[in-house]
Amino acid sequence: MSRLVPFICCMYGRVTWRGLPLLTPLPPGLPRVLAAGKKDLVDFPVLNEDELEEQFVRGSGPGGQATNKTSNCVVLKHIPTGIVVKCHQTRSVDINRKRARDIMREKLDVVYKGELSEVVLKKKEAELRKHEKRKKANDNLERKRQFKEALAADSTPGSDTV
Amino acid sequence: MWRTSLRAGCRGCRGFGPKGIWGSHAVRRCSAPAPALPAGRITARQAVDVWKRHFEERGVTEPDNSSHYIIAHLLGAKTIESLEHGKLTEFLSREKTEQMWQLCTRRLSRMPVQYVIEEWDFRDLTLKMRPPVFIPRPETEELVELMLTDLEMEPGAKVGADGQRTCLEVGCGSGAISLSLLNSMPQLKSIAVDQSQDAVDLTRENALRLGLQDRLQVYCIDVLKDAETVVSLCSPVSALVSNPPYLFSEDMTSLEPEIFRFEDHAALDGGKDGLKVIKQILTVAPQILTNHGRVYLEVDPRHPPLIRQWVEANVEEMHYVETRHDINGRPRFCILQKKKSNKDHRLDQD
Repeated sequence: MSRLVPFICCMYGRVTWRGLPLLTPLPPGLPRVLAAGKKDLVDFPVLNEDELEEQFVRGSGPGGQATNKTSNCVVLKHIPTGIVVKCHQTRSVDINRKRARDIMREKLDVVYKGELSEVVLKKKEAELRKHEKRKKANDNLERKRQFKEALAADSTPGSDTV
Repeated sequence: MWRTSLRAGCRGCRGFGPKGIWGSHAVRRCSAPAPALPAGRITARQAVDVWKRHFEERGVTEPDNSSHYIIAHLLGAKTIESLEHGKLTEFLSREKTEQMWQLCTRRLSRMPVQYVIEEWDFRDLTLKMRPPVFIPRPETEELVELMLTDLEMEPGAKVGADGQRTCLEVGCGSGAISLSLLNSMPQLKSIAVDQSQDAVDLTRENALRLGLQDRLQVYCIDVLKDAETVVSLCSPVSALVSNPPYLFSEDMTSLEPEIFRFEDHAALDGGKDGLKVIKQILTVAPQILTNHGRVYLEVDPRHPPLIRQWVEANVEEMHYVETRHDINGRPRFCILQKKKSNKDHRLDQD
């Protein structure tokens, strides 16, 4: 039962991360968006190892010194949500396990926080920047266009226009 | 070109099995012709597929992993997943194609991938690998993790005038455990011993490559034959770690060819009950460890209760703390602690 508590809490809009209650969703705005970019301030959910099932393919043999297999893929399952993460990015099982957990935390963040999750916020931040960049570029073009028109209107036939 | 590849494969075949015994059975397998180099250009992806098929046809285990790791290594990456997008569909240069053929031919002889590419990763370190020095196993990464958690938690015995802690590793092989500990704990000093000069050389080489040589001393000592030297050189230490040979002698013959033919049997065979070296380490431990110093061992899953019983009956100064399991849920690690003693063995005050 206890493993379902974080999930249920989330559904009712009351989520606690690391003991700090988050009663109302923070309004999306520039300050929050800026903070989201910084890794240490990121508010990823803390994983409860009891809720995880880990599988590592070492074959059915005795393992240890008796086996030398190079497969070190880690499969991590979060039991309450059913989310499965697979990681074989590196040649170290230990590192694959850590990375699998990082990826799991990101995925859980999306599930639990939805609109407020880091992944979604980062996306919005990137889109916002892109939008601002485009707007700036368009404004510049518009200004140049108006300037050119003004010049063309001012110039009279025969006079030097430099 | 074909003949060169074949020679490379045969060189790899010279197994380091029982001294002087080189089965003709193995020689026959070695002389199977290596697949010919392609006439035209091929892509990395195609080379991988060709060799994956070859490995499958000749019963080489992990056919896809083998070709993946080899091509990744040739293209400058650790894994095929971390290769730059599109790298696999690029044509290989003639040189790279020849290298692929040469390396994969070595794998055909059942040489472990780690020896084929001459390196492997252990936690966050990349180590040089060379037969017959024992290849670090993934389970052992957890032994290091375990130790680090312990060492970082307790304030620990401050040994030495500068307050640095010292750890001893018995049977260092490629240096994986010691170097990993040193890399993660800047205030740690380590001593590593191995009865194999090849292992001592490789550990020193890896220490140099990682810039850790200043905090590591490596000695060629056999703890079974020369315990006194270990005690005089190495004490006192606050932790002793070992992944000692722990296989049962009768299990040696059923080992896969990758291990039987290429890895040092002395690094694997722990005697009739697999406890030969373990018992010696635990016998000598009280003379090397500071009070409350700990021993961390990787063992066979059948060993923990046997070790507990044996220590309780035979090594009064050592207390069996706990057994920890590996990622596959097998009992794998034993932690023991030296009880506080009034006798200082080193000073021999009696």
